[in-house]
Amino acid sequence: MQSDNPTGKRVILEVDNPVVDPRDVCAECLNRTKIRYPDGGNFFTPRLRSINHLEVGRSKIISSPVTIIVEYVVLLYQRTVEGVRRLLRQLFPRHPRIRGRNFSGASFVGRTTYAGRYDHGKPIHHLPVDIWARTWWGSWRHLASGVSGKDGTFRLPYDLREARSWAVRRIRAEVSQISFVYDQRDQPRPVHSVAESIHVPKKELTGMEYNLRDIQIGLWAYRRDTPIPRTYINDHDHDAPERYVQGRTDALQDQIIPIELTKLKHLAQLATAPESLSIPQIQADYPLNLTTCIENTLPPELKGYTRGDEFFGARMMNGMNAASFRPDPDHPHHYWMLYWGYQGYDHNDVFAFPTTEIKYSIRPGNHTPLPVEIIFTGALDAYHRDPWQQRRFRPGDGARWTYAKRVARSVGGLVAEVDDHFAHTHTNTEQYALAAFRNLRLNPVNWLMQPHLREVSLVDHTADRILVSQRHGYIPRASALTGLGIQQRVEDTMGVLDWKGREPMRVINDAHTYAKAENLFWNITREYVEEFFERNLEAIAEHWYEIYRMSEDMVNHSVRVFRSRIDLDRLDARERKMMEKRITYFESRYSFDPTLPRRTVNGELKILSPITESETFLDAQPGVLQNLKDWCVYVIHTATFMHTWVNEHQYEDIGEVLYSCLGLRFGEGPDGVLAPESDYRIAPDPVRATQMMWWSNLLSRTEYGFITRNEDRDVNPRFGEMLKAHEEEFRSYGVIVDDIEARTNI
Amino acid sequence: MTHPPPPARSWVDTALLDTLGGLRDRVVLWITAKGFAVAIALLVSLVGKRRMSHDNGIAARGMVTILDNPALPRHEFFRAGRTLPCRIRHATATFLDDAVRGIRSMSVKFSDHHLRSPFDMQMNTGAVSLFWSAASFLQFARMRKEKWGVEYHDYYRKYPSGLAGAEEAIRENPKSFHDLRYYCKTPFRFTGEDNIKRYAKYRVRPYDDQPETGINHHPDPTDVANQRVPRHDPRGRNYLKYEYEDRVGKEGAKYLMQIQLRTAAADDDPEIFNNMKTWNEDLHPWHDLAVIDIRETLDWKESCRTTFSIRNMPKTLGVLPAKSVYDYNSLNYMRAHSGLAHRARLLNYALFGYPPKIPDNDNRNYSDWEKPPRIINRSYPSTLK
Repeated sequence: MQSDNPTGKRVILEVDNPVVDPRDVCAECLNRTKIRYPDGGNFFTPRLRSINHLEVGRSKIISSPVTIIVEYVVLLYQRTVEGVRRLLRQLFPRHPRIRGRNFSGASFVGRTTYAGRYDHGKPIHHLPVDIWARTWWGSWRHLASGVSGKDGTFRLPYDLREARSWAVRRIRAEVSQISFVYDQRDQPRPVHSVAESIHVPKKELTGMEYNLRDIQIGLWAYRRDTPIPRTYINDHDHDAPERYVQGRTDALQDQIIPIELTKLKHLAQLATAPESLSIPQIQADYPLNLTTCIENTLPPELKGYTRGDEFFGARMMNGMNAASFRPDPDHPHHYWMLYWGYQGYDHNDVFAFPTTEIKYSIRPGNHTPLPVEIIFTGALDAYHRDPWQQRRFRPGDGARWTYAKRVARSVGGLVAEVDDHFAHTHTNTEQYALAAFRNLRLNPVNWLMQPHLREVSLVDHTADRILVSQRHGYIPRASALTGLGIQQRVEDTMGVLDWKGREPMRVINDAHTYAKAENLFWNITREYVEEFFERNLEAIAEHWYEIYRMSEDMVNHSVRVFRSRIDLDRLDARERKMMEKRITYFESRYSFDPTLPRRTVNGELKILSPITESETFLDAQPGVLQNLKDWCVYVIHTATFMHTWVNEHQYEDIGEVLYSCLGLRFGEGPDGVLAPESDYRIAPDPVRATQMMWWSNLLSRTEYGFITRNEDRDVNPRFGEMLKAHEEEFRSYGVIVDDIEARTNI
Repeated sequence: MTHPPPPARSWVDTALLDTLGGLRDRVVLWITAKGFAVAIALLVSLVGKRRMSHDNGIAARGMVTILDNPALPRHEFFRAGRTLPCRIRHATATFLDDAVRGIRSMSVKFSDHHLRSPFDMQMNTGAVSLFWSAASFLQFARMRKEKWGVEYHDYYRKYPSGLAGAEEAIRENPKSFHDLRYYCKTPFRFTGEDNIKRYAKYRVRPYDDQPETGINHHPDPTDVANQRVPRHDPRGRNYLKYEYEDRVGKEGAKYLMQIQLRTAAADDDPEIFNNMKTWNEDLHPWHDLAVIDIRETLDWKESCRTTFSIRNMPKTLGVLPAKSVYDYNSLNYMRAHSGLAHRARLLNYALFGYPPKIPDNDNRNYSDWEKPPRIINRSYPSTLK
């Protein structure tokens, strides 16, 4: 979602003496392409049940009037039930005071453990356990309260006479998860949500210890079918360890229904009369994006700007790709940018995905990069499949230079989606979310991190189905990578993503607004984290065990170091040269430091550095506190700014099918993908085209949960205040502070 | 875990509520004890010819001599040098098979009468028990669910203290009833000639203090409920009783009865009555009280007939009062109310005869007489021939 920005959100055009200032056009287009749905629809407007029912094909929306009426009745019933429950909660509140006078003779004992086949019996530490009694007239009596210990065991003394009182009708033990709400700055209020509730037969309470035994809770388990640390979710609606907040679903519904209806119309039309729908018509049915808007707005003499060199360089530097530039050692002011193509990953033979190296001329000052050479390694047409064939293109190549830029944009689109978006922000954040949710409870770091780690596991689970999976996903059908290839690529990308040693991108010149914004956000985040640690250091040290457990989970489940899986000695000279170049670029882009000490687990060198190796703060090595701060800064930065950037720019950079897509087809022509945009045989077919428009709209337009808006009051307002204090500076870099998401949830 | 102090109440409110509550608790306790005794008398003793649990036993007679122990406060009943005839009865709890993993017991009667006595004491192996109050005992009874030698599985799952008690009390293949240690566990009253109120626990050990056998030092908590005779165990169903007969016939059996005392105080923690918690032996050491010298075992019928009741005690040594079914002393309160069941069983014996002896066959792990042809007079077919 974008917001008003009268000064222009992004500086992208640089034209000498233009008749129309392209910056004004850009500002106007950014404003016009802003997402607005002022009409909420009427009663019979189709609805979406939840994000879990989205499909690249036909999402499960409710459109039949009869179904809408029935659904309304069901909704009415559910609201009534919820209303009654709310009333009962108000009538019979749960007072936290423990009832009773004699707590010496009776106690509840038990152990909190993970459920499931593989984690079975593994203790869950520091989970709140409460014993509540309900009287015959409905009121609640708090009999006992406590938290499980490091080994998951708990012992809750209670007053036997109070529990066996004739007034008590039933007793239950509740194990809760804790989340936090900020009613005031820096003062989080814990909110308990029941993870497991056990009925305790009152008559069985006879004093001494009553054993609730192992309370098995299906919380935050690791998947075992992938080397990537992912959350086990079998069914979104039933066994997920968390739920989307209602606001997230509402935001999605508000935005996606018109898009969904457009897609459904296209799919129906393509099924019955495919010749009646062309790619331009499909494009025209969707809202304008940045490139289409600019092209429509510019006067005829400036048409084609979006396919020009300046726009190309500007988008590569400050668009969705936010590419890294490596200086050319032989030519000052020249830089190289690399997109890795097939590289041995599982792929199909329909789409082109050559490794792409782009050389830019980047002058100091406020100048956008200008591409001066593009080198493709790999197949560009259906007739020459040699993966080592190399083609070079320069601006003097005329139309072929334009075609080459289009191929580069598409390769860049796929790389940005898989490497930078899915791997770097989604699955990378998920591995930290999983380790944090499994282990952080009493430690204040939980308050700090939880709002930024929520819902990423849920959305990744959905992404697996609608974008990644070979059976249902979009990317394996619309790009060269298969589902397996994506998994391999994500694992390799994560093999260079370590929190330790991570630095924001180096600023190349004044036009490098992405890097400036990233540095600014990084510094503010660090300041915010430092402040938080100053206030809560004592409690952080007291509950250091949770940090230790989190670190252990994180490290032991992380993927192997990318370079450790490569045996360079077994590659031939050509492969070795390419691989060395790849390792160097990869590690440079993600600030990977191969010299850091890392742990080997089951023969695999693990990518993630441990935060601490001691269970207690007193025994910890010097520097562990700094490690923890660095980890917090890195994770918050990745889950918020990094994801927001790549996500919200998708619709600008891959929101026009013919401008850039995730894969150009080889087609049947002798030049393959080096063909004009008017050759639809190399463009995505109409079904993929409408699906691409659907999901790029879906991802960019349905964001929810922003730091400064703090819809769920789970982010410390202090963070929003600090960002707001730099609002103008961010605005000068094309970033609207209010648009930065607090979490990765789309 | 700390709890906030309860809201302040006026002493009048407290007194009134406590009085009413206490009255209700005592009524519930009385009804529970009487009701349980009636149920056992009717369903188990009168109809089934059974004790509540310790049917499989052997009785013996001899003499008991009170020792002169200056460390003990003087008591009119335990006068030094006093000698009385006595009976004891050893038993294996629950099962009609000596070879099961189970709790063994010893009951002592300071008289040679099968019922009447000035002083009876009932003891089991293990320093702590499997249940701690009347309410707990009722759960214990409800959750027995014995099948093929496995019992109390649910009970052990829900009550870790009960499991710990079982691990402590169960003996596996002891060499003899004689070399075990038996504890009364729940304390009794002890008011000596100095008129100071004390609490007392009793235990019996072999006079020669030979090492105890049958202790499982590394019990598997998941297998405690399995009391079955181990496969290929050569020991017979009556091996302990036969061994005891042989032992008494050859050399007699001599025991030392000991007592542990602690002085009562108004602010005593109720936990001192908890039979799941032993008293600190440094503060409250065991004192030698009496020597029991057994010279003759009794036959099966007399063993069946010999009955013990903790009501058989002088007033100064009796059962401590209990306030509710959750009171630790309610256990002895219930025991003291079981006289009706004793009389019902003896009535059954008189009317329908004694139960058959336990045969030496391969029907193991039984807790009841096999295939009873009649409900009233349970008998074993092979023994009728």
